[in-house]
Amino acid sequence: MNSAVQALECRSVSKVFGGLRAIDNVSLAVPPGSVCALIGPNGAGKTTFFNVATNLFPPSSGEVKFFGTDLSRRSPHDVARFGIIRTFQTARVFPGMTTIENVMAGAHLHVHSSALSQMLWSRKARAEERRLSFVADALLKMFDLDRYKDSAASELPIGVQKLVEVVRALMAKPRLLLLDEPAAGLNDRETKDLARLLRAIRDAGTTILVVEHNMSLVMGVADCIFVLDAGRLIASGPPEVIQNDRNVIDAYLGRTEERAG
Amino acid sequence: MSSIVQIIIGGLLQGGVFAIAALGFSLVFRVTNVVNLSQGAFCVLGAMGMYYFQVLFGWPLLASAVAATFCSVIFCVLVGAVTFVPAASRLPTSSALILTAGLLTFFVGVTLLIWGNQPYSLPPFSGEAPVVVGSIRIPSQGLWLGAVSAVMIAALWFLLQKTALGRALRACSENPAAARLMGIDLHRMILLSFGLAALIGSIGGILVAPLMSIQFDTGHFFTIFGFVAVAIGGMGSFGGAIIGGLLLGVAQQFAAYYVSSLFSNTLALLMLLAVLVLRPSGLLQSDAPRRTDVRDEGRVQRPLVRTSSRTALILPMIILVVLVAIPAMPLSNGLLGSLVITLILFIAVLGLDVLMGFGGQVSLGQAGFMAVGGYCSAILATNYGWSPIAAVGSAIVLSVICALILALVTARLRGHYLALATLAFGLLVDSLAIGLVDVTGGPSGLVGIPSFSVGGFSFGSSVRMYYLTLALCVLLVLALDGATRMGFGRALKSVRSDQLAAAALGVNVGRIKTSALCVSAALAALSGSLYAFSFHFLSPEMVETPRSFELIAMLILGGESTLIGGFFGALVLTMLPTLVQELAIYKTAVEGAILVIMFLVMPEGIYGRALSSLDRCVRLRGMEANVGAKA
Repeated sequence: MNSAVQALECRSVSKVFGGLRAIDNVSLAVPPGSVCALIGPNGAGKTTFFNVATNLFPPSSGEVKFFGTDLSRRSPHDVARFGIIRTFQTARVFPGMTTIENVMAGAHLHVHSSALSQMLWSRKARAEERRLSFVADALLKMFDLDRYKDSAASELPIGVQKLVEVVRALMAKPRLLLLDEPAAGLNDRETKDLARLLRAIRDAGTTILVVEHNMSLVMGVADCIFVLDAGRLIASGPPEVIQNDRNVIDAYLGRTEERAG
Repeated sequence: MSSIVQIIIGGLLQGGVFAIAALGFSLVFRVTNVVNLSQGAFCVLGAMGMYYFQVLFGWPLLASAVAATFCSVIFCVLVGAVTFVPAASRLPTSSALILTAGLLTFFVGVTLLIWGNQPYSLPPFSGEAPVVVGSIRIPSQGLWLGAVSAVMIAALWFLLQKTALGRALRACSENPAAARLMGIDLHRMILLSFGLAALIGSIGGILVAPLMSIQFDTGHFFTIFGFVAVAIGGMGSFGGAIIGGLLLGVAQQFAAYYVSSLFSNTLALLMLLAVLVLRPSGLLQSDAPRRTDVRDEGRVQRPLVRTSSRTALILPMIILVVLVAIPAMPLSNGLLGSLVITLILFIAVLGLDVLMGFGGQVSLGQAGFMAVGGYCSAILATNYGWSPIAAVGSAIVLSVICALILALVTARLRGHYLALATLAFGLLVDSLAIGLVDVTGGPSGLVGIPSFSVGGFSFGSSVRMYYLTLALCVLLVLALDGATRMGFGRALKSVRSDQLAAAALGVNVGRIKTSALCVSAALAALSGSLYAFSFHFLSPEMVETPRSFELIAMLILGGESTLIGGFFGALVLTMLPTLVQELAIYKTAVEGAILVIMFLVMPEGIYGRALSSLDRCVRLRGMEANVGAKA
């Protein structure tokens, strides 16, 4: 088949809840080094697809491969270890921790000193700690979040919390970053900033798949867009193609005959 | 043959007692998802009230039963309204669980104040003569118990399934937020369930009082075995509560008859562990499916103790200087001895803080690890002549092995089931400490334990022991501060806050929990060993399950996830009864009240509050200085 290894490849994935086909035979591929977006009207199955793709629950049929590897039997932390990091639709910052702690918690996979050497305040552990906090500071600054550094993360506005979550995910240095509606709760200017940052992250070598409602973010940032409707993939391609796709317009605005009737 | 039948009947009677307590657990759990540990106290209050009206005032049976039930329910509802209701609606379920442990202690303390510490017993309802069927004798009170329990279960089932009120109660358990939006008064429903549980408990207490003797602390017994019964039968299922209770009773009677009454509890607890491992949700699953995904995996809101690194240093430094100077002051030897105990218990609280404060895993079995460590050291040093250091080392290893086994066994358990498993572990250790007379000396304890010594240098005097424990505490605080400040601590806190999100970042949740449990077990073993070496004596009641609750109270009182806070908790709860001897009778009630009040009023604890006020002062100063500089 295709010789290039895709960052994420789904082959005829279906998910059935009871009698409901939440996802119906979806095949798609996210090429490495790209930003792809998954869009669709409410109830199209975006979040279900996302959860299947991130192993939160297994598909009823079909297969999901990350960089050519089937991870469906792996535990969530193994998936993360493999370089696939996700954020959540409802911001899930860690309450009871400050913003900087939250962000540094994202670097868990890159803490190599043992708990014992941390107990002994070993030189290696302290050096690692300094390095991580330096990276965290830099990332917070890049996202213009440094003023919230020492605030309780759960007391920040929702939009800011979602950005903190993105920064936290970046601390894990993912190969594939899966973002679930990162722009929810952001205003126009912040959304534009986010689009710019996402492109910068892609250029630094991280593949991104984003599920999003916000069209201005999607059209501004995605190299490739997949459109889901009622569990089926109804269109895929670059933004300018999707914008003029008959099926997509129908899905979002209702069918022509219905509108006429 | 007839002896077996007789054992079974005895077991069913015993089991009926457990089932009554289990029923109340089940009801409150269904409505609030909180395991209400104060359930056992309701039974005692009912029974004690009954004694007042029936025996002292000489009222007729029915009138005194009604009056006793009425009084105890009113009292419980009044207390519940200001404690349990805000807790169950506001605190995470694990905190509410600990709050109810405080309530239990409070009720036990109040019972001690009113009725003293002598045992009471009531006459059976319809005379002493048993009902004889063939060659089998059934105490008539057993029939009363069975019949009234059946009526109560039927009434409860009807209330929950067939009435609008019951629908509202069930809605609260399914989805409290949505129930509220539908106009259901959540607070009133929680209070109602608490009141109903008090009603069941009181009636149950009145029914079982003639079968056993009731004492101020019988509440612990009811709570523990009711809890075990409901866990075996299935949380939140009424049928499960009854079956669990009866099974437990029968199993205990058989163990007592065929093995030894010393081991009757051991068997019950092994049974509980087996059920927890094989069928974590109990033999009978709740008929109301519950969305554990939303509640158990919930995100835990904790007060955030924030300090800049410099201010965080001031307080510990002051404390350390005071502590180092204390032996130079003119103090009685007894006071210094109490300080040694404070520091030793502080070590166990430190372990608990790593597990509970940072890791968010409730352990009701910390004293069990203290016992494992304490007995291991004491036996090796006393009977086998090992050097204390080697004995302590082996004790820590043994305790960590126990923790690993427990972690392995409970790997699938979450939330309150983990709390349950640790409780079962603690109780199992209790029963072994009492039962293995040849090894542990049984109830009368181990005597002649040598003083702690290192290479010929003995820590026999209290001053030497004081400096030894102080040095150990300082080293441990420094070490744990390092680990909790860096990667390990962040992983722990992320698991405490949100397991799903933590796993998505690559945190191996099971492994982190296991390491926290091991750290906590190691420190408990160290603490238990020093405890034995410092008293030269170790008996089961020094490291029994009530001690686990006391350690939790110390942690909450001092402040969770502050490390040093536990010292103040240990200090207050150790010193209070020694300083005011004549008030010792109030100790239990005050201890319970402190725990409950702290949770509701100052959840960050004494030390946490002190730190944040200090921090605020420093920040304000800094701001003023900035403003001054600009002007």
